[in-house]
Amino acid sequence: MTLAEGLTLPAPLSGLVLAVLVELGTDVQEGDELVIFESMKMEIPLEAPRHGRVTRILVGEGDKVAEGDAVLVIA
Amino acid sequence: MTNKPEETSSDTSRMPRALGWSAELDELAKRREFARGMGGPEGIARQKAQGKLTVRERIDLLADPSSFREFMGLMGSATYEDGTLTKFTPRASVDGFCSVNGRKVVVTGGDFTVRGGSGGGSHGGLGMEMAANRRALEWRVPYVRLLDAAGGSVRSFEDMGRTYLPDGNSFTAPDVQLLRVVPVVSAVMGSVAGLPAVNACIAHFNLMVKGTSQLFPGGPPVVKAALGYDVTKEQLGGYQMHASQSGVIDNLAESEPEAIDMVRRFLGYLPSNVWEMAPREEPGDDPCRRDERLLSVIPRDSRRAYDGHKLIRAVVDEGSFFEIAPLYGRARITGLARMNGYPVGIMANNPMFGASTDVAAGEKVIRLIRLCDTFHLPIISLADEPGFMVGLESERKGIERAGARMVITVCDSQMPWATVVVGQLYGVAGQCHHRPSGMFQRYAWPSANWGSMHIEGGVAAAYRREIEAALDPDARLAEIEARLKAMASPFRTAEATGQDIIDPRDTRRLLCEFVEEAQPILRSQLGQTATPYLP
Repeated sequence: MTLAEGLTLPAPLSGLVLAVLVELGTDVQEGDELVIFESMKMEIPLEAPRHGRVTRILVGEGDKVAEGDAVLVIA
Repeated sequence: MTNKPEETSSDTSRMPRALGWSAELDELAKRREFARGMGGPEGIARQKAQGKLTVRERIDLLADPSSFREFMGLMGSATYEDGTLTKFTPRASVDGFCSVNGRKVVVTGGDFTVRGGSGGGSHGGLGMEMAANRRALEWRVPYVRLLDAAGGSVRSFEDMGRTYLPDGNSFTAPDVQLLRVVPVVSAVMGSVAGLPAVNACIAHFNLMVKGTSQLFPGGPPVVKAALGYDVTKEQLGGYQMHASQSGVIDNLAESEPEAIDMVRRFLGYLPSNVWEMAPREEPGDDPCRRDERLLSVIPRDSRRAYDGHKLIRAVVDEGSFFEIAPLYGRARITGLARMNGYPVGIMANNPMFGASTDVAAGEKVIRLIRLCDTFHLPIISLADEPGFMVGLESERKGIERAGARMVITVCDSQMPWATVVVGQLYGVAGQCHHRPSGMFQRYAWPSANWGSMHIEGGVAAAYRREIEAALDPDARLAEIEARLKAMASPFRTAEATGQDIIDPRDTRRLLCEFVEEAQPILRSQLGQTATPYLP
């Protein structure tokens, strides 16, 4: 996907959204933690694969997600 | 005597000797043309409509340019009128030698356009040419199956006027021998049933294509007849079943060209046979590269998980990791990579998926160890092992027998092995990151912690009487746990055993040195191993 369209980040595994650590418009760097999931009593972070700005957030705390579900978009 | 060329029509000056046989050469060209037409335009159109390439297109993708040398290409069923060939249908397989990245392999490609790739029953007669599997065995070159065949068909009963005993092992036996001698790859490129479905697994690596390949001993009509229910091909033997749930297929390709690319890539890490060393590539990455991110990969908070792929990528030559079976047994990552250009097998626990070795992850470990042992690749284990998976589900799947197989496989292996304990190392699953014989090197990171079992849970069992007898059992349990945890620093172990603890950033350099030192040992181990590869 091109930079202009934004990059949709999928849930890395099925679980519960424990915390969303960013807001719309947050500037993120590669490796920043964006969302924390809980699965099998462990906390699993979703990290930014590259720098960018958060343009869409598609999950909220307490949501159940399946692996591959769109979580947020960075552009 | 003088040579008098016969008077004929064409070009007498260039090749006078061939002249006498020009009619036969024309016939040869005609027969080859027929063979290139495969099962005919209708069959090819059906193949295309299913989104599949023809077998010859697939071989073109696999083979280095103009390297394909077909054999048994004139075999098939012919129709004659007054002794003249009018129609020819080739057999349902296109076989030959070709080069892959400059090295020779044997490829056998099922042709679904000919009778759905079904064998057609003309096997084993006197004077038959050597089959593709035997050639790979005798030439000692890798064997690649491009499977697109439905196995036996009851139609052949009518052709033969009888049924036959299912003695397929007569021509499958060489496939079994191949596993101990040369790399074998199966690419499932269509709906594959019967013996070809089993051949998919008589391999060191296999893959399928999303949406266009399925695999089963018997397809939906057979299921309906035997069990009475309706099921689609995709539900029964599609990628969701086999790449994630059953683990019958290692890797999933999005398209046929990607599938062929994976075959080429997998072969690139392995020698042509067990008597040769795996090919080293020109190293494109500094063996002394220190990745600063290694300092923070392992979270201090033990509830925090991380993606084990990060560790592997930071340590191996950049871009060299090829994961095997990424969707199955995901508590363990297994694959091939290069260290300073040398091919290695590498595995890591993956805390994102629990890290604990379950039956599925254990199967992957066993196959990787056997693969490395068979083809004389060193193996690297990045261990963060909480122990074997516990619980009812794990018991139902037989975790103890799986554990026994892992222990046996580890102890039976010979190839040089390096383990880096990056986090936890507990129990018998932890024990399986260690081999007490041969060239074995272990390093630990300062984040490492280990034991025969976890302190949490272990204390309640080992100190049960003391805890029960206490006035405040909970406080006593916490007190004992705290006492034991104070002893859990890896430095205390190092004091007593000499275990080397390293700066995580030095991991790549130390492993590259290990792999370099392993080369003469590997050379001394060339040949067939005592323990056979079991897929």
